[in-house]
Amino acid sequence: MRQRTAILLLLPAAILLTVFLAVPYVTVITSAFRTPGEGTPFGEGYTLGNFGRIFSQWYYIGQALNTMLIGAITTLVTLLIALPVAFQLARPKLFLRGLAYGIVLSPLLVGIVIRSYGWTILLGNNGVINRTLRDWGLIDHPLPLMYNTLGIIIALTHVFLPFMILPIMSAVQGIDPSVPAAARSLGAKRFTVIRRVLLPLAMPGIQSGCILVFVLSLSSYVTPALIGGFRVKTTAVTVVDAMLDTFQWPFGAALALTLAVVGGGTVLIFARLTRIKWKT
Amino acid sequence: MSRWTLNIFCLLVYIFLMAPIIVVIGASLNAGAFLTFPPQGLSLRWYVTFFHNDVFLRAIGTSLWVAAIATFFSVIIGTMAALYYVHFAGKRKEWLRVALISPLLLPEILTAVALLFFLYGVGIGTKTMFGMLVGHVLMTLPFVFMNVSASLESYDTDWTMAARSLGAKPWVRFRRIVLPLIKPGLIGGTLFSFVISFDIYTISLLLKSIGTATLPIQLFDYLKTNYTPEAAAVSSVSILATLAVVIFVEKVVGLKVHKF
Amino acid sequence: MTEVRLDGLTKIYSGHKPAVDAISLTIPSGQFVSLLGPSGCGKTTTLKMLAGFEDVSSGAITFDGQDVVRVPAEDRDIGMVFQNYALFPHMTVFQNLAFGLEMRKIGKAEIKRRVQATLEMVQLDHLADRYPAQLSGGQQQRVAIGRALVIEPRILLLDEPLANLDAKLREEMRVFIRALQKRVGITTVYVTHDQAEAMTMSDLVVVMFDGTIAQAGAPSEIYEQPRSATVAGFVGQVNLIPAVVEAHRPDHVDTPFGEIPLPFPAQPGAKVTLVLRPEAVDLHRADAGQGVPAKVISLQYSGAIVDYVLEFADGTRMDVKTIPRHRVMVGDEVRLSVDPSRFWMLDGEG
Repeated sequence: MRQRTAILLLLPAAILLTVFLAVPYVTVITSAFRTPGEGTPFGEGYTLGNFGRIFSQWYYIGQALNTMLIGAITTLVTLLIALPVAFQLARPKLFLRGLAYGIVLSPLLVGIVIRSYGWTILLGNNGVINRTLRDWGLIDHPLPLMYNTLGIIIALTHVFLPFMILPIMSAVQGIDPSVPAAARSLGAKRFTVIRRVLLPLAMPGIQSGCILVFVLSLSSYVTPALIGGFRVKTTAVTVVDAMLDTFQWPFGAALALTLAVVGGGTVLIFARLTRIKWKT
Repeated sequence: MSRWTLNIFCLLVYIFLMAPIIVVIGASLNAGAFLTFPPQGLSLRWYVTFFHNDVFLRAIGTSLWVAAIATFFSVIIGTMAALYYVHFAGKRKEWLRVALISPLLLPEILTAVALLFFLYGVGIGTKTMFGMLVGHVLMTLPFVFMNVSASLESYDTDWTMAARSLGAKPWVRFRRIVLPLIKPGLIGGTLFSFVISFDIYTISLLLKSIGTATLPIQLFDYLKTNYTPEAAAVSSVSILATLAVVIFVEKVVGLKVHKF
Repeated sequence: MTEVRLDGLTKIYSGHKPAVDAISLTIPSGQFVSLLGPSGCGKTTTLKMLAGFEDVSSGAITFDGQDVVRVPAEDRDIGMVFQNYALFPHMTVFQNLAFGLEMRKIGKAEIKRRVQATLEMVQLDHLADRYPAQLSGGQQQRVAIGRALVIEPRILLLDEPLANLDAKLREEMRVFIRALQKRVGITTVYVTHDQAEAMTMSDLVVVMFDGTIAQAGAPSEIYEQPRSATVAGFVGQVNLIPAVVEAHRPDHVDTPFGEIPLPFPAQPGAKVTLVLRPEAVDLHRADAGQGVPAKVISLQYSGAIVDYVLEFADGTRMDVKTIPRHRVMVGDEVRLSVDPSRFWMLDGEG
């Protein structure tokens, strides 16, 4: 097939991504500067008011900061949990490797609503954890695990853990086993091999895992809404409220855009700081 | 970390990963009217309730329908794009990859809002299922693309040349050589696409038309006001159905794939 | 039986110097031709143009006088063996061989008969139901050859087919491929960078450098009468000895071994380079009555044959390769002699 006819293969995807992704993103940017409408999605005029409203009220700023914090902590915690698991799973001769791999994948197969629902059963004041602790006489009053930031982070960690484990695992699997062996032959101790050889080589996977989890955390709606119980709101929850409940579309667009820009900026800085210069 | 600490740590992580799923399935077997775990007395009564609940049944139907249509399109579009990406993209490969997985990298909430504005802007709105379907195709496309392009990367272009030298025309080459050899990626992509579509929430919520709530939306809606184990029963059925499909594909189609 | 002609064949990738630069070559019907050269010399590009996998920038390719440049690869009726075999991993050995016949719409029974016959020819009839991954490298190689031959193509193209085999198997396969080619009598083009392969297997060796043909000829001709120092060096170890054609005896040249007759006439007083293969030199004891004295600088055993570096009294050095008839140590004085017929001559300084 010639190059020129081959481009036809790309055409449907190109049309889809241009018409239904690129163009809408341009639309949403302009829409964030629209005046609120009366019974219509947005009014005739243009205004900076939507952004003014966000940046003048501590409620929205605080909420955005909290959302970013939730994203950052979730990313860090998933990374710390995922690293050992990814290294273990990457071992080809691991006992019951198939099962372990299935368990890591399983959250992906179970819907996000169901998983978050499972956490409400576990974390609630009358939930499994609190009741067990109470039955054992360890606590008198239920621990505040739900309807707060802590609960959201626990549930998000669970929800996005596979997205951290899988890229790291595939990066680790790509490491030639003779490389760490070479390091050991040069006198490096076990821990030094991990720190100086394996972690740097797993860096591409770590990087993409972190970016993925961070972005997914920022924009997740279901988990914060269910676990936060509308008491702790993240920016994404407020965006959906603005769109569906209070019907303030331009404001919702402005809020979502602000979150995306701040989040995207953070990702860029992160990618810059962890830039990888080598190639395999 | 010694090998044993590592193993114990990982075991705890696996328990953590399974915990909410086990809890949901356990709670669904509750005999009582309230959600408790471990269940107080075993019964399938909530499953019976669920099977008589039109709202949930309709939501499951909608979800299956949307997932099937979205997967159909994203598999075709994604496979074509992957074919171009691996064999023809040349220097633009890196850019193309980013573009094709961009729906995954962009925040779903903003994509949903953007699509909503766009659909109203061009006059389509959310009166039909079109918007939601487009959203689902967008969100599942990266998974098809990643799976298929991964298996295409291990496809040796010499195979195509060998087939040509033996006299095979383009369509025959695709059907007899390319397709069977990328089958694992194609199946993986289809499966992923279906499961992801079944799970999409925010896009469905903002783009759904009236009366086309998918299962996640219906379930979420129910959970906001109800605490009966019926939601757990619905969830369990969904989990088991997904599991059944995955195992079925792995055993039936997967076996042929692993032959070489 | 097909005669292949290349006429001014050129391949230019835009923005680069020609990968193949106006080469012309006639491959007589039924001959085994090797394209020999270092990587990047254009030999693989030439093969791909022959197969139809690369577009031709200019020039012609004809099979028996018929121009095939515009014929797509799938209609060109060639058999191709790839470096990594390119066996279809999802098809059995039998299915791999049957594929090309199916493309030609041949009946089931006939396919079965022909595949069976070819499998016997490549000695694989007992492995017909195996998948490629279940075969050894040598067996996969033979499947690839069988798959290319079963369609009874007009020409057979082989792209470094032995590169992935170990040394011992490579020797065996050389003999096997050559014998098979002779039996089938098919015009064959064989690409390799291994001079030993090219020399042992071919009727005609085409040495290529930088997209051009440096020399084409029988293996003995390429080896004994190279047209340039580069060709001489590529097909084996060589001593290049600068010399001047004598003014008073223009058919002779002065060498450390005395005056020798020229292999072909040259201008009196012209600077020439003499080509002498290390194994053409005879080594004698220091007390032998004949030969030029020299000193052993170093020596290296490679089995029966020993490689020496020798130094003459004037400080010039020479490589010698021989099966020693007496024991020689580093530092020993020896004497060297050469039969004048073993000298070859290049114009100028090589």
